[in-house]
Amino acid sequence: MAEPGDESHVAEPLDLVRLLIDEVVCVKLRGDRELKGRLHAYDSHCNLVLGDVEELIYVVDDEDADDDQIRTVSRKSDMLFVRGDSVVLISPLAQS
Amino acid sequence: MENGALSQGEGKDPSGFLSEIIGNPVTVKLNSGVVYKGELQSVDGYMNIALEKTEEYINGVKKRSYGDAFVRGNNVMYISAD
Amino acid sequence: MLFFSFFKTLIDHEVTVELKNDIQIRGVLKSVDQYLNIKLEDIQVVEELKYPHLSAVKNVFIRGSVVRYVHLPSNAVDVQLLEDATRREAANQGNKAK
Repeated sequence: MAEPGDESHVAEPLDLVRLLIDEVVCVKLRGDRELKGRLHAYDSHCNLVLGDVEELIYVVDDEDADDDQIRTVSRKSDMLFVRGDSVVLISPLAQS
Repeated sequence: MENGALSQGEGKDPSGFLSEIIGNPVTVKLNSGVVYKGELQSVDGYMNIALEKTEEYINGVKKRSYGDAFVRGNNVMYISAD
Repeated sequence: MLFFSFFKTLIDHEVTVELKNDIQIRGVLKSVDQYLNIKLEDIQVVEELKYPHLSAVKNVFIRGSVVRYVHLPSNAVDVQLLEDATRREAANQGNKAK
């Protein structure tokens, strides 16, 4: 691959995402949701396909007015398409 | 409006400003109020952002760190050079 | 066009579309377009006691913009092919945003 250093030099933000293909990523979504999974596909809209995904939904338990507890609901999926307009942030996660 | 220490050379318009602050520490505020502080790696015409050494602040409290972070441009309220 | 092509490969597979209003609809993918609008046939609403709105409905057209997720059968997805196509698409998108 004889590209002039283009692969590691981040010319534009989506190039950062390109480096994350086949890596485990953390995706923050609107609505206090987070996904962790392996990135298999993306496009310029930030539509994504993630494999082996865990979704975390942060829910506020407002039982007493004084006591805002944050619960998390977890859901798993083998393969998930995510529509880009929900995406806020994409970041690599250290793989185990 | 002053532009502080940066020269006005090619950076007369907003996109010029963005190319000038590449590599600088920045504060990115999202429409949701969440703030990210990190080193600006790149920006594009949609205001998508790539940051390095990112810290996430919610209500002024540091909540998380991300080594690298891509932020989707439609969520961005502003990018400020620190 | 990447995801449009991707979804075309999933026609006739069963998928579960999760909408932004939290309703999940399971059905057979029959049609998709460039906006990722979706047509499903023989639908079943997940948790239908909670969402009785579609109890008499068999086929649906879902506007792409209201979709949050599409839960996919992992055995229907060729991950290598997808990743390679993504890399190619990313290269083509390279200068679009500038």
